[in-house]
Formats: sequence, C-alpha cells, structure tokens
Amino acid sequence: MNIYKKSIWVFHLNTGGCNSCDIEILDVLTPYHDVERFGIKLVASPRHADALLLTGPVTKEILPKVIDALLAVPEPKLVIAIGSCTTGGGIWYDTYSTIGGLNELYKVLKEEYGVPEPSTVKIPGCPPKPESIIYGIALALGVVQQKVTTTTARVE
Amino acid sequence: MSRLSWIKTALEVGVVTKKYPFERVEVPDGFRGLPIFDSGKCIGCTACANVCTPDAIKVVNDFTNGFRRIEYRLGKCIFCGRCADVCPVSAITITKEFELAYTGDVINAIEIKFIKCVQCGQYYTVSRHLKHVSSKLNDEALEGVDICPDCRRRSNINSLIHASGVFR
Repeated sequence: MNIYKKSIWVFHLNTGGCNSCDIEILDVLTPYHDVERFGIKLVASPRHADALLLTGPVTKEILPKVIDALLAVPEPKLVIAIGSCTTGGGIWYDTYSTIGGLNELYKVLKEEYGVPEPSTVKIPGCPPKPESIIYGIALALGVVQQKVTTTTARVE
Repeated sequence: MSRLSWIKTALEVGVVTKKYPFERVEVPDGFRGLPIFDSGKCIGCTACANVCTPDAIKVVNDFTNGFRRIEYRLGKCIFCGRCADVCPVSAITITKEFELAYTGDVINAIEIKFIKCVQCGQYYTVSRHLKHVSSKLNDEALEGVDICPDCRRRSNINSLIHASGVFR
C-alpha cells in the first residue's frame, strides 16, 4: 500500500459532517497524540497535500467543491476517509440532501470526470478514536496489516 | 517575564504525549467497538436488522437457493450497540476492538438455511428461528407450526367453513 517515500502532508476537508470527526482529527494533531512526530502535517491547500482527510457524508451542495479539491491534490494521491458518514453514508445513507458517502462520490468521479479511484483507507467509527485514526494512517503507509477481514459463515 | 513562567509551567507538567503506536492503549469501560456475530448462536430472527439505524445490517432472503443472508457492513456501522441490546439469544457481542481501518469493503455475512413447508414445499422460514419460538410455546399453539403462512391461512379458512356448516 505504501506509495510515499517521505512524510505525508494532509489537507483536512469537512464535507458536511457534524464536526465530531474534525475534533478527533484536531486531537490527533495536538501535543497529546502528536502525529507531527511521524511527519504528518496539516497544510492549508490541497495543492500542497499528499493525502486528503475526508469527513462527513458528502452533501449535494458541497459535491463540486469536494471534486475540485480531490482533483487539485497532485499524484500520487491518497484519500483517508474518517468516520462512518464518509465510509458508507452513516445514518444519512438515504437522505435527500447527501449523496451517501465515498463510494457514491467515486461513482460520480468515474462517470462524469473519468477519474479512476484514488487509493483509499477507510476508518469507520462515529467518531473514530484518535488512536484509530493513527492506526489508519499507519495502514495507509504500509506499517501495519489490516485486522478486519470479510467473512461468510454458512450454517444449517 | 511571562514567557519564563510558561517554561516553568511546561517543566512542571512534563511530557504529555501518549506513546500509542508503541504501547497498547486501554479503552474505557463501556466503549463500543467492533460487534462480533456468533454464527453458532444466531437464529436469523432479523431483530438486529430492524433496529439498525444506518442499515449496516441487511437481510437478503434468497427463496430460490433457500437461505437467508444476514450481512454486516463495517463501513456503515455507527457502533451504537442496539443490535446487541435486542438480540434474543445474545449472539452479538460488542468488543473493545477499535483498530478497524480497512481498504476496499468489509462484509461479514451469516447464511442460514430455510426450511420447506410440509404442504406446498416452499421455503418460508429458518429452522433455528422456528425452534426458538417453538420452545417458548405450549402444545396447543404448536399446531400447524411446520406449514407456511399461506397454507395455514387456507387451512384455517377451510376449517372455519366446515365448522359453520355453510357448505355441507
């Protein structure tokens, strides 16, 4: 999974969430959890960033701006989806004003802009713990292995 | 002068940074992490799917192949724990696992076989659910428990008609 040789810089983009995931992201950046010791730095523009931190269920109002920001991130780009809203729509999966998460956003990107899916790490949780976010970034950098797997049990 | 007092305060407080990736972190009591589904206990009653707010637990009834598929999508789950509250056989446990980051899709599914109606031969419910309900009923209520709702309705109406004596 590791596509970067050096430290990753991240751009934080709220796509219509309730702010709790954003608070957890800020918590990760404070001296208490301090991800800057791993070289992860918050930048002010997507053009300076390697990775996009997406939170929120992607409302219809903000969809064009999200796509603009996503296209502005230089290759190789990485999307880190934080919170259940982004990973699968959360409790807003079928409301009239949201498109319902990252998979729908990628569908729009592919159909209307012809852009393939960027490599993505999804961190579920409502909101995820700061440790969970650190683990997700470690997974994106290829430091750790994924713990959860798809299973199917067939019983009588 | 005031900055010097900040240094003094900082020295008094010391290092506050957590060493998380290099040492284990204890989560507080009552923390709700990944729910685990015990396929040995599950009776397929779909109570968890009924209460699931974000539709993370979904039920697909496959009547042609004869099984009920209960899917849990990790990406949609908000970890509210209502599924574990309503489960009548406590097959769902809320663990304290929080390292849940993933790529692609993660779907945990349980497929439970349907049983057939003895009269018409159609699949109608899962045997485990029937057994669970039967164990709580008395013998009188167990009459006709092995036939599907349609057949039971038909037989009830037939018996009513015969009892009323209209068509003698």
